[in-house]
Amino acid sequence: MFPGVNGFHWSPVHIIFLSAFGLVLSVLLVTLAVAFFRTLRDVRSGRAGAIAWHCDFEDLPRQERLCRHAFEGAAPGRLCDRGFDCRDCETHPKFATIETRWPVTLPAGLEYPETRLYHRGHTWVEPQPDGTALIGLDDLGARVFGAPEVVELPAPGTKLSVNGAAWRMMRNGASVSVRSPLEGEVIAHGAPGGQWQLRVKPEAGERAFRHLLSGAEAHAWVNAETDRLMILLSSTPTGAALADGGALVADLHQALPDAPWDEVSAAMFLNC
Amino acid sequence: MADMAWVPTTMLDRKFVPRGVTRCTPARFSLWLTPWCLLLGLGLWAAYLCLRDGLLHTNMDNRFAFGLWIFLDLAIIAFGGGAFFSGVLLYFFKLKELNAVIRSAVLIGFLCYSGAVTVLAIDVGQPLRAWFTFWHPNAHSMLTEVTFCITLYLCVLAVEYLPVLLRNRQFRKIPSFLVFEWELHKLIPVLAGIGAFLSFFHQGSLGGLYGVLRGRPFAFRESFGIWPTTFFLFVLSAMAVGPSFLLIMTRVAEWVTRKRLVLESVYVRLARVSGWMLTFYVLLKSIDTMVWLNSTSRRGGFLPWEYYSWEPFGVWILFVEIGLFGFVPALWLMRAGKVNTSWLIAPALLACAGVALNRYVLTVQTLSLATLPFDEFLSYTPSWQEVAVFGGVVAYGVIVYSVLYRYTRLFPQEQER
Amino acid sequence: MSATQKTSRTPRRYGMVIDLDRCTGCGACVIACAAENNVAPGAARENDRNSISLLRVFTLNNPTAAGRRTAFLPMMCMQCEHETPCVTVCPQQAVELDVLSGIVEQMPQRCLGCRYCMTACPYHARSFNWGDPSWPAGMEATLNPAVAPRMRGVVEKCDFCQSRLHAAQDAAAVNGSLDPGIYTPACVEACPTQAITFGDWNDPEGALAKSGETFAWLEGLGTQPKVRYRSGQNWLHEMAERGGAAPAKEERHG
Repeated sequence: MFPGVNGFHWSPVHIIFLSAFGLVLSVLLVTLAVAFFRTLRDVRSGRAGAIAWHCDFEDLPRQERLCRHAFEGAAPGRLCDRGFDCRDCETHPKFATIETRWPVTLPAGLEYPETRLYHRGHTWVEPQPDGTALIGLDDLGARVFGAPEVVELPAPGTKLSVNGAAWRMMRNGASVSVRSPLEGEVIAHGAPGGQWQLRVKPEAGERAFRHLLSGAEAHAWVNAETDRLMILLSSTPTGAALADGGALVADLHQALPDAPWDEVSAAMFLNC
Repeated sequence: MADMAWVPTTMLDRKFVPRGVTRCTPARFSLWLTPWCLLLGLGLWAAYLCLRDGLLHTNMDNRFAFGLWIFLDLAIIAFGGGAFFSGVLLYFFKLKELNAVIRSAVLIGFLCYSGAVTVLAIDVGQPLRAWFTFWHPNAHSMLTEVTFCITLYLCVLAVEYLPVLLRNRQFRKIPSFLVFEWELHKLIPVLAGIGAFLSFFHQGSLGGLYGVLRGRPFAFRESFGIWPTTFFLFVLSAMAVGPSFLLIMTRVAEWVTRKRLVLESVYVRLARVSGWMLTFYVLLKSIDTMVWLNSTSRRGGFLPWEYYSWEPFGVWILFVEIGLFGFVPALWLMRAGKVNTSWLIAPALLACAGVALNRYVLTVQTLSLATLPFDEFLSYTPSWQEVAVFGGVVAYGVIVYSVLYRYTRLFPQEQER
Repeated sequence: MSATQKTSRTPRRYGMVIDLDRCTGCGACVIACAAENNVAPGAARENDRNSISLLRVFTLNNPTAAGRRTAFLPMMCMQCEHETPCVTVCPQQAVELDVLSGIVEQMPQRCLGCRYCMTACPYHARSFNWGDPSWPAGMEATLNPAVAPRMRGVVEKCDFCQSRLHAAQDAAAVNGSLDPGIYTPACVEACPTQAITFGDWNDPEGALAKSGETFAWLEGLGTQPKVRYRSGQNWLHEMAERGGAAPAKEERHG
């Protein structure tokens, strides 16, 4: 390589040739380095959760990416293209004004109080008078997962981002990451086995809750979700089927121990 | 009892299978892999023999210094050209349909190239000296250009495939992996760009490899600047068969998995692109052949009929390459959308056969023909070791492709059905 | 010996003229070449297609029925001068054309064994070491200490006995000169009929310049070989002017 060593000699062709390849190699290395440093920057600035959700959302099966207005009939079959973040969605306000066409009754036995707001990842949010909000698993989510063996809550002070990871729970080999319904800072943990898991100080303003479901809209969504759960359970090799019209048991996990709970929980909690 | 043994494997297996798609049982999957693993084992044994004792295990000789390995390497590198060309079409010409096959294309490209490099490492007499090319490069040699480009391009393909791997169900649980994937994916056009640059030069140099052989009038061609016409013909033919090969592989994947993996429109798009490029290539190839037979070759003192008067390499081989394997598939592929899509695999196979025949003729016929007026026409039959090493590389490709199909999302449209 | 003498070494273009009318086909040159260059004796698996043959002797037959004649053609590396086919293709400069001697040098220690040079050579003058060279017990003692044996997996070819050139350079240096002059390769030395003349094409007074009308094989390729031939027989000239092998079976040797 070096002039004079073992008779190697440089020519202008060598210089052109090696510069061209040196350039290509540097472009490749610079690209990798840029991606690496941007990753560091994203992780440090707390954008990791949002980006991970973006990637996850792309890989979700089609039926899990339906727009919230698909359930109540305003936009049947419409796919969401914003990662379930309706806060800045331009079409959401327009669809919201359309009157629902489909009558909705909540599946028997499920409780979805009107005082709470619901997130597509099966959590509820209850705004408190002091400006904080409580977060817990919704009724269907609680019945699917039952009593978790381990719950890993984020330390107080942790910043949550919408759809990012809120907490992790494990049971009998199945492990899910529960998606955060709100953007904000974790203030306190709920009592183990209690109704709520996290107390959060959300970002200020009405906008913070715009992407959450409530009332009849939430009921329509729960209806669709119950159907989806039944399809998931009936298509598994265990052959377990839930009789239509009957009430869901409190702990499905216990009732159907052989079902592939890893799969089913991942599907219900929008894990990839 | 046998079922019980599978339970932990099944559990582990399911943890890696992407959610929302169905895969066969691990037992069935192992059954599919078994013959390929045996073939890979045979290939490894043959490769070991060649590395242990030298290349006397092959039937190559001083005249047939290149043989089966070089011919097949050239062919699979042309087929792997689909990786760079679909990247160019997707990221620079915005043919969004190709999103459905780009991951598979990158993986196929990587397997073709890494397989070819592996065979080359066994084909050369002193593989441990491969780095000498980087240390004492002869910038005038086409082979130097090939070595530099392919080495770098393999790295580019590996980096291009990295995002798909990082999206595996288990890897993605580490949030920074997904963030890196996301940041890298935003820069993919840069990688596609340098991939295209490198592919242009090495596909070309592989053709140039023969076109510069002044001492082999059958291969020697006119030059534009420093590059002979075969340089440009190889680039074009790789661009022509790359999409065809992708079409074939996707169809084969659909047959093996018994699933629809991409929309029909993707096949039509691949076929049309392939058809247009093939037409362009075959036209230029015809002109080049006429110039070579009537001018280049005569100047060296060689008459065209001399090349084609040795059985089995008669003139028919020229007509088969340009006509049956050239114009016929080109016109057929261009009519994609108007003809039955499920039949498009036929012209795609013809197109691939044509380019493989081109590589075969340039490698084998070039070496068979004597240059000295009193010398003999020679033939050569590869040894089992040569065939086995190549079989092993094919098995390697099938195994890696099957495993990555099972555990990563190669076809984004798969779950939509 | 002054500094100007050192820098003003006149480049030589060593070459040969082989008189085909003198060659009897005895093969002494082939043996001398193999012995000089430490070519291992052929293993059982070897044949004329995969053995190491730096110098070969072909039998040529007169194609015309009338006046049937036979000639013998010794062929080694032709040391091509112009766009030397093997030099331009080698990816790692293991083949070089030495501007001071005109010899195409082969460096086996740098050779990767890709064999691209072998496909490039129009004279098929190159050999590849397909296996490890081996000498029967005791025969190692006959090895020429001036030439390094080659390992398996590398290409080799005739280099006009470069070890003898180096010896000539050393001898010249002792006498205070840098010019090795005209030395004698092994095949030239061994030829009983003195059919091979070795000399310098740059020397207008030398033996090559005086060898009269000569021809080369495959001159149409434009590689300007420095090994040339002479013969008084027309059919040999005509054969050399033709390009590739003629397909008619009776015309070919073999």
